[in-house]
Amino acid sequence: MIADDLMIVLPELLLAGLATILLMFGVFRGNRSTPSVLMLSVAGLAVVFAVLVLRPGAHGDAFGGLFVADGFAVFMKALVLIGSAATMIMSLRYFERKQALRFEYPILMLFATLGMLMMISAGDLMSLYLGLELQSLSLYVIAAFRRDNLRSTEAGLKYFVLGALSSGMLLYGASMIYGFAGTTSFQALAAVFAETMVAGEAPSVGLVVGLVFLIAGLAFKVSAVPFHMWTPDVYEGAPTPVTAFFATAPKIAAMALFVRVVMGPFGDFVGQWQQILVVISIASMVLGALAAINQTNIKRLMAYSSIGHVGYALVGLAAGTEAGVHGVIVYMAIYLFMNIGTFACILCMRRKDVMLEGIDDLKGLSKSNPLMALVLAIFMFSMAGIPPLAGFFGKLYVFLAAIESGLYTLAVVGVLSSVVGAFYYLRIVKLMYFDEPGESFDQPVGGEMVVILVGAGAAILLFFVFPAPLLDGAAAAAAALLAG
Amino acid sequence: MIEVAIVLLPLAGAIIAGFFGRLIGNRGAQLVTCCLLGLSAILSIVIFVDVALSGNTRVTEIFTWIDSGDLELSWAVKLDTLSAVMLLVVTVISTLIHVYSIGYMAHDKSIPRFFAYLSLFTFFMLALVTADNFVQMFFGWEGVGLASYLLIGFWYDRPSANAAAIKAFLVNRVGDVGFALGILGTFVLFGVVGFDQVFGAVSGMADTNFVFIGIEGHALTIICILLFIGAMGKSAQLGLHTWLPDAMEGPTPVSALIHAATMVTAGVFMVVRLSPMFEYAPIALQMVTYVGAATALFAATVALTQTDIKRVIAYSTCSQLGYMFFAAGVSAYSAAIFHLMTHAFFKALLFLAAGSVIHAMSDEQDMRKMGGIWRLIPVTYGVMWVGSLALAGIPPFAGFFSKDMILEAAYGAASTHGMFAFWLGVAAAFMTAFYSWRLLLMTFHGQPRADAKVMAHVHESPKVMLIPLLVLAVGAVFAGYVGYEAFVGEGRVDFWRAAVLVLPGNDAIAAGHHVPTWVKVIPLVMAVAGIGLAYVMYMLRPGLPAALVARVRPLYLFLLNKWYFDELYDAIFVRPARSLGANLWRSGDGALIDGVGPDGIAAATRSLARRASRLQTGYLYHYAFAMLVGVAGLISWYLFSQVG
Amino acid sequence: MIVQALAFYLFAGMTIASAVMVIAARNPVHSVLFLILAFFNSAGLFVLMGAEFLAMILVVVYVGAVAVLFLFVVMMLDIDLVEIRQGFLQYMPIGGLVGIILLVELLFVLGAWIAVPETAAVTGVPLPPPEQVPNTRALGVVLYTKYVYLFQASGLILLVAMIGAIVLTLRRRDGVRRQSISGQIGRRREDSVEIKKVPNRSGA
Repeated sequence: MIADDLMIVLPELLLAGLATILLMFGVFRGNRSTPSVLMLSVAGLAVVFAVLVLRPGAHGDAFGGLFVADGFAVFMKALVLIGSAATMIMSLRYFERKQALRFEYPILMLFATLGMLMMISAGDLMSLYLGLELQSLSLYVIAAFRRDNLRSTEAGLKYFVLGALSSGMLLYGASMIYGFAGTTSFQALAAVFAETMVAGEAPSVGLVVGLVFLIAGLAFKVSAVPFHMWTPDVYEGAPTPVTAFFATAPKIAAMALFVRVVMGPFGDFVGQWQQILVVISIASMVLGALAAINQTNIKRLMAYSSIGHVGYALVGLAAGTEAGVHGVIVYMAIYLFMNIGTFACILCMRRKDVMLEGIDDLKGLSKSNPLMALVLAIFMFSMAGIPPLAGFFGKLYVFLAAIESGLYTLAVVGVLSSVVGAFYYLRIVKLMYFDEPGESFDQPVGGEMVVILVGAGAAILLFFVFPAPLLDGAAAAAAALLAG
Repeated sequence: MIEVAIVLLPLAGAIIAGFFGRLIGNRGAQLVTCCLLGLSAILSIVIFVDVALSGNTRVTEIFTWIDSGDLELSWAVKLDTLSAVMLLVVTVISTLIHVYSIGYMAHDKSIPRFFAYLSLFTFFMLALVTADNFVQMFFGWEGVGLASYLLIGFWYDRPSANAAAIKAFLVNRVGDVGFALGILGTFVLFGVVGFDQVFGAVSGMADTNFVFIGIEGHALTIICILLFIGAMGKSAQLGLHTWLPDAMEGPTPVSALIHAATMVTAGVFMVVRLSPMFEYAPIALQMVTYVGAATALFAATVALTQTDIKRVIAYSTCSQLGYMFFAAGVSAYSAAIFHLMTHAFFKALLFLAAGSVIHAMSDEQDMRKMGGIWRLIPVTYGVMWVGSLALAGIPPFAGFFSKDMILEAAYGAASTHGMFAFWLGVAAAFMTAFYSWRLLLMTFHGQPRADAKVMAHVHESPKVMLIPLLVLAVGAVFAGYVGYEAFVGEGRVDFWRAAVLVLPGNDAIAAGHHVPTWVKVIPLVMAVAGIGLAYVMYMLRPGLPAALVARVRPLYLFLLNKWYFDELYDAIFVRPARSLGANLWRSGDGALIDGVGPDGIAAATRSLARRASRLQTGYLYHYAFAMLVGVAGLISWYLFSQVG
Repeated sequence: MIVQALAFYLFAGMTIASAVMVIAARNPVHSVLFLILAFFNSAGLFVLMGAEFLAMILVVVYVGAVAVLFLFVVMMLDIDLVEIRQGFLQYMPIGGLVGIILLVELLFVLGAWIAVPETAAVTGVPLPPPEQVPNTRALGVVLYTKYVYLFQASGLILLVAMIGAIVLTLRRRDGVRRQSISGQIGRRREDSVEIKKVPNRSGA
């Protein structure tokens, strides 16, 4: 019995073991072991990835439904692991250069990743909360990782306080749900709600208010408006590789959790939560598009960009159908690659060993570094949703799902705000290609950066040629979520 | 995998020369593209032997391209006799032209770019001819259009080249709309876009009707006419031909490769490839015949008066394409492809020889400023003779076999449109011979009309340019004789197999073999007569042309101005469009859009953006407060909309 | 029964009153003391429900450790109350409005309490009945079996919290004297004592 459970949680178990072993290794060897700890962590993530993906049979519930492993979980976990590993590789040189390389950094990233995997597989409000906290706590610490830097510590503190507030809301919502339904297990909740629906009764108001609090807590984690306020400050203040990490893996995990919660136990109450998600989604898309226009710092810009993207992904979730979930998964996968690539570019913005964050520093990049300019332009076009790049298809699928569900307003607002949003993405392209160049950035950028840049760029550029693996995987994942 | 290599090698060459041109230098770019194409050409010969001669037709799937709902597409290489012939023609001619370009473009400042474009074009052309479905064909179709646009505008610092490139692009778009609509119609009718599936289902659809722009009509006829409009655009048929002469602004090897030998024949290829559909749409076939025959005559008349050496050959190309179309229109598809192949050799030869002349004359293209140089450039002169003889259809040169076959088939079809095409074709044959010798005589013979400085500089081209010319000359001499038996003779059924479909009642070629003797002889008579007349007018009595022009001045001007097609289009389409645009710009753009449209919205967006970013104060308690307000707002929203 | 009811309202009322005072007290030290009072009353509520283990843990952990730590921190920091008040007063009206709206809505929700029918059966009776099994034991039985996953996850969270605290605060400063026990023990007489011959009448 317990052996079966352990087999199901094998990837998480491996990751936890790896993290603790590397922690001991780091403690005994000191900070000079950091590069090896980091590389071992990446290797470990690769092993976990392999174990995760290569065991298709190991699906099912573990620990009495606290932990759920299904196709959806496997797909989202794979994305999270890719995001974590890529950002980990990208951070090595940054911290070496800043001489702030400490072995706790990869360890905390591993724990954060573990938390994300647990979130994605949560089958109960309790395991949801514990996974979320494990992830958040690690993130708070690495946001403030450059503890001698005022902005970094400020970012960490803000994130921590607001995160605690959002956890409070989430717990309050969870307790209300427990109070009204008498259980915390997703399966049991779903069964109870199904009975309510069969009986033809409206769900208790308290239950839905509890759900609203729960959604508020989750919306904070995906940084959807109006729970987004931390994002620009934290993105700007945190060290750039940490920002890259924030923008990728945790977003995917939180979005997966969001999808699992509202589509799983509350799937029968689509009519109740749909309008709330519509409001959140519209607000996120509009604010993400508008507020980004005036930014001069590229990390801040990416913060607003990610707020906008979360809005688009929520469009698919608001549809509340299998097509919608499919759209969300595809969107987040594409979002992952676009953000990895863009942040790799931002990490290459270095002049005489000083990191640059101004958008104006990109002026004339096409002349001084044509390859990087080309790749960044691909990401910008893709984020703006210009066909035939991948970003266009991400938007296409969520909007189609929304239209199928009759959410025309949402789709129209989405299209309009993506037009506005295209403005600031294209401004970057314009700066790179049509403005007079300043001094060029430091060369070379490092082999691993080139690999990540080219890999992510190719993924975005060639998606329309080989869309099948992602689309089929996402379709299977969506089907698995709704079947279970 | 040979076939995949044939298609992809030119692409590899284009990528290497295009992206790493600076790295490998001019010589490197030339070497890489030529070698890869040469390899591709050699492999094409292997494929030709395997597929066309041994009969191993097949479809090789490279990867799944689109799999969305009902639409399932693969990127594949379809190999049958038709595509094997096209592969051979395209790769061989393209290789020769690559080599020729080494010499012709030696003094250009962006050599790698040129070679990258040439190879890219070849790749798209190969993708087109090996397509096994409509969408891949459309991809290649648009790709060659793009490459053609890039190459016509290659000398982008010349305004005329840019204008010509844009004109070519726009006129082609008109045709492409037809082509795209035709593909859509096919998909609507059959539900698939793979050639084999569509062809298999054609006979069952022969009597289906559907509604197009409010008119109910025979479905296959509508589709085939739409597809043919696409072919007209690409192959410069009457009405959509105006871009081709202007396209001569591009470098001469480009004219030879794209605007004579390969791309412009894509329309013919398309009609032949889709012969199983056209066969069930007799009205569409009649239209193809009429348009083709009219083009053959029209272009030949215009060519009589032009003075730019390249434009004469361009109009001649247009005219020869007309021949191919009316051959296809009378169901003599194999004759059309036969002429396509021989024409590719001698027309590429003529263009390259013309390039050699232009090269020798210090970039002079006006024939009135040439003359008397035949002793100075004997090799060019010789191959020009070969090309002209082939074009005029003098035995035993290549053009004789193919052109005669076409005319015989047109007569043999024994229908109104067949006879129409036959007589127009005969008249065009006369003119063809006349303008070919006019060109030859004006360019090489008579008194030198260029200034002394140019004449002193006249020289034979380097070997790298001459060798391709000689190879093409061999093709122009023997291609017709060698191919006759297999393409249109007794062996044609075994040769073509299932690549083209001709319904039993429509076999014009078989009928063409049994026409009266005068029909077989008359083209030759006409050609000789044309040559003779040209000889009289430009050698024996040099004053005659001027006197003739004075006598029939209106007709001369009519022809010189290309039947006023450009002026007509300018008056009907261009000027109204421009004035409409100007009005819209003034009233619409200036007043509406700048006032309240995008500019107004943009201004409003900016002020909203400022406000949105001002929300971000940086104070922690503001943020926390915003979250609380948010949650309270959401709950209120829920309660009021749902409960209250 | 009546005694239980009275005790419940006493504890509950005290909890709410002291929670209000935590926010309202002028002196932060008083706030923390009220917080401790609130914890004690909550512990009382737990005892009333028969959850004596939770009650004791609440007292030991929250009162004994957390609140006392708060107290130390508050005493050591110099908090300028006047400044905080200013901001508070500035946002008081709108903040109060939002608070009241939220409160009204929650009251409305509670007023419309329609629990799912099965809920009463599940939540009404603690399992297993406290008369048969002491709840320390009952907790222990499920904690390491049914909820081992959550237990381990909590352990990891605490580990991360510890790593975080060390990462963010532990520093090695120069110029700080530390006791080096091995150094002290390993010291020999020769290292520290030197015997010099001092000549007469010339000093050291």
